[in-house]
Amino acid sequence: MDGRTGLLESVGAEIMGIVMPVSTCMLLVVLLVRCLTPHGSDVSVRSVATLVYTEKESDSTSQKLEGALLNSLALVGVVTFITFMLVLLYYYRCTKFIKYYICFSAAFMLSTMGGTVVFQLIQTLSIPLDIVSFLIFILNFTVVGALAIFMSNAMPILITQFYLVMIGMLAAFWFTMLPEWTTWMTLVAMAVYDLFAVLAPGGPLNLLVELVVSRDEEFPALIYETRPVARPDSDSNAGASNDNQHRRRWRSQNVRRTSASEDAGPATELQPQTISSGGRNRDLRDLMDEERQVNRDVHEDNSEGRENNSNGSLLHENIGSDDESIPLVSRESMPSVQVTSRSGNQGTHTEQHNITMQRDDDDDDHEGLNISALSATGSLRLGLGDFVFYSLLVGRAAMYDLTTVYACYLAIIAGLGATLILLAVARRALPALPISVTLGIIFYFLTRLLMEPLVIGLSTTLLIF
Amino acid sequence: MALAAGIGYTLLALGPAFALFVSVIAAKPLLVLFVLTSALIWLVSLIILSAFWRAFLPIGSSWLLVLLLVTCVSFQELIRPVFWFSYKKLEGLLNALAQRMSKPELKYYETMQIALAGGLGHGIAHAVFFCLSLLTPSFGKATFYVDSCKQMPLFLVAAMLSLSFLIIHTFSMIVAFNGYDDGKRSLVVFAPAMHFAAAFLSLVNLFQGGCMVGVPLVLVCAVGVICYCGKIVWAKVGDQDTAISMSNRANILS
Repeated sequence: MDGRTGLLESVGAEIMGIVMPVSTCMLLVVLLVRCLTPHGSDVSVRSVATLVYTEKESDSTSQKLEGALLNSLALVGVVTFITFMLVLLYYYRCTKFIKYYICFSAAFMLSTMGGTVVFQLIQTLSIPLDIVSFLIFILNFTVVGALAIFMSNAMPILITQFYLVMIGMLAAFWFTMLPEWTTWMTLVAMAVYDLFAVLAPGGPLNLLVELVVSRDEEFPALIYETRPVARPDSDSNAGASNDNQHRRRWRSQNVRRTSASEDAGPATELQPQTISSGGRNRDLRDLMDEERQVNRDVHEDNSEGRENNSNGSLLHENIGSDDESIPLVSRESMPSVQVTSRSGNQGTHTEQHNITMQRDDDDDDHEGLNISALSATGSLRLGLGDFVFYSLLVGRAAMYDLTTVYACYLAIIAGLGATLILLAVARRALPALPISVTLGIIFYFLTRLLMEPLVIGLSTTLLIF
Repeated sequence: MALAAGIGYTLLALGPAFALFVSVIAAKPLLVLFVLTSALIWLVSLIILSAFWRAFLPIGSSWLLVLLLVTCVSFQELIRPVFWFSYKKLEGLLNALAQRMSKPELKYYETMQIALAGGLGHGIAHAVFFCLSLLTPSFGKATFYVDSCKQMPLFLVAAMLSLSFLIIHTFSMIVAFNGYDDGKRSLVVFAPAMHFAAAFLSLVNLFQGGCMVGVPLVLVCAVGVICYCGKIVWAKVGDQDTAISMSNRANILS
């Protein structure tokens, strides 16, 4: 029973690769919310999401509803506008500008919001810390974070992933300061927006994806990429050292990936990526051999006229954040999208087909397609905006009670799972927000209105079943 | 003391689940997905039940409570065969996938791990919704007693009850999977029987001072389930070993 080769260990690994960071992000946001805003204090904060209306306790329900609706529409308007701006910038090939902008906003978020959160934590927990160490810490945190996002190729993937989760957490935490009604309307609006932006023919994200695909380049954005799991066939001799090796191989394949992005973007999409490499049973002991072989496979494949190395990939989003705000509060997100295509190793050519993901393994047949997203052959990408809005939902639920948090968590993960299954079927970039957010909101209210009274009633009479 | 008490109650309720999760489940992504799925199924069942019973709250009379327990437990026990049945469908897919990836098909102990994961999902969801959400105040100062049980704090009772139910859910799922696979009626009936028994034993808590009796009885149920589950699996593994050694011997002889 070699533990590494069983079905249980190899199936579903990349789903867990997405579920883990999303869970981590949600957990951190819930902890922050419980720690810093114990009673869901709705401090009224001016930000992009409250452009039109500022909620007050005393307002009537219809006033709150109307105001929240207007707020969310305004937010979606801003997000749409910024996304189109990004598409335009990208169309005119201002990729550098976008990249620097994303890097700048990431650094800005990490320093100001991260600094504020750390400061509040220090105050709440009364940790003795002098200002000099504090500033040095924040400076380091910011610089490393910006570098991790800007030059993600040069950094260990774990650091980049850590900072992406951090950015998602900070953005979500600031969003939880929105008033309650506005939060719910914003979630709904973003989910609907996400649906249209990605799937509608003229949707900004869809345009961006098509543009990127047609240019065969990558678009810089804040996208979380899972580390692909070692391919099942090549890891029969896996050991610790192999892990490292697989990782490196993967990075080398990813030479061109950029991911940067912005703060809270809403995001978007989840996309399947298959790594192209001809990889079938390879048992490579070291990187060099592996790469050589990959090339060989690639050439062979090409000569057969197959487009193998392509991956369709996908999507993303980004977000623009705007910095107009004064005290850090306004964050907005914009979803934008991006697409990335990944190129095969060393520049051998990639092709993409419209967003469909293509599978590369020669030896899989068609029915294998569905499963391929589930088995260990590729990596998945999830826009950071999805992290933010999932965590926002859970963070808002945490202000009511922990029961709702667990229910929302399960619902969101179920929605994510459903989206992943759809992804395997549809093989194109899909919006990750709509299913999860809908389920999350439904479960929140069901739990709060139906389940909690029963459970509390039963457990205080010490009955249980 | 406050923090220590909160952590203590939490570990009492969820410590075994945590240990099982870390040692068996965590390293295998598919099992983690099974845990999440079955927790979600359990949550959905609870929401459906509470949607039905919401209108009757708060429940005053005790015969209504009995009725509530009966409907809830029966409903949840109805889900178990459905869960098994959908797992069987999935198992076909997984085995096909295994073949494609040139891996061995699911073995007996792997099926049992999946059953464990499914049961653990139910158990964790149970513990989280019935106990963990109740335990939040125990992290603060002071503690809380209910009128009918002056001997133990509410939190301690809740933690111990949810520990027993966690164990019952987890291991009776394994017993039930074995029963369905082999078509043995006694095993199939065992899981609902223990679930009913434990739920009705918790009715003892309604009496003044009943928790001193009810809680240990429920814990005894849990221990019974573990022992029975251990016996079943042990016997089955033994059978398989003999079958394998028999066939080996047959090979050698031929």
